[in-house]
Amino acid sequence: MVGYKSYWYTWGALLILTLGMIEVGSAAIPGGVIAFLLILAMLTKATLIGSNFMHLRFEKLALILTVVIGILFTALALFLGIAPDGIRILSLGRH
Amino acid sequence: MKEASHGIGMEATWGGGGSPFAVSWRKLMMWFFIVGDALLFAGFLAAYGFARLASPQWPLRTEIFHLTFIAAMTFVLISSSATMATAVAAAQRGNRKDLLTFLLLTILGGLIFLGMQAYEWTSLIRQGARLSGNPWGVPDFSAYFFVITGFHGSHVLSGVIILSILALRTARGRSRAESPELAGLYWHFIDLVWVFIFTLFYLI
Repeated sequence: MVGYKSYWYTWGALLILTLGMIEVGSAAIPGGVIAFLLILAMLTKATLIGSNFMHLRFEKLALILTVVIGILFTALALFLGIAPDGIRILSLGRH
Repeated sequence: MKEASHGIGMEATWGGGGSPFAVSWRKLMMWFFIVGDALLFAGFLAAYGFARLASPQWPLRTEIFHLTFIAAMTFVLISSSATMATAVAAAQRGNRKDLLTFLLLTILGGLIFLGMQAYEWTSLIRQGARLSGNPWGVPDFSAYFFVITGFHGSHVLSGVIILSILALRTARGRSRAESPELAGLYWHFIDLVWVFIFTLFYLI
């Protein structure tokens, strides 16, 4: 059984990450670095919510893999499938 | 004897006996619903990413959104997730008083978030933003904004309704033991989706 405290530690971690993301979002650093840091923080937050709040870390590996791989793989396939077309359309517009 | 050997065979196939995920069918269906719904949002966000990449210009977020206000919305939703997790833990301990208290706090968080979203939408609509166009010259921007945040908002509203029914049933001592956990999964999923919307729409 999980104690109440662990949820509030997770809440604190999520809050710190959110504040950090807002700072990074307006920092004077290259756009690529900002995007990388923000996506890293976003995935960390998603992991914290999934594992601690949704209790995925207490589930069987079969369920964890079904949920995580199912979502991540399909989302990645969706994005990688259409992102090159988006970049191509943009480059066509510049010619 | 025949049944026993059949059971051993299943275990060898699934590595988990007759229940490979070791969860109730209700919880398994909730997880499958969450995976399906997540793919729907993934589709929206991938389409949004495509539109941004294909668009030669995109409105400057700092000129349109009040980031402090959006951060406050995020704070409210994260806090409501923490109260929901606490409510689920209270249910597992059989503490009905704590369960009801934290359920009501979660509902309050959901209502505050919805109120803030309504304010944000009203503010943008007053500036001339519509589904079909906006003053910033990129019609796709407001179309994606209203569809994605609207879809998320409708999930928050559904969550508030589900939690309200659960709170009523809990107060009457008629809720199932597993119900808070299932409602909690849905509520945390709403928070999870917001993490992605917040980053990809408001920060990048």
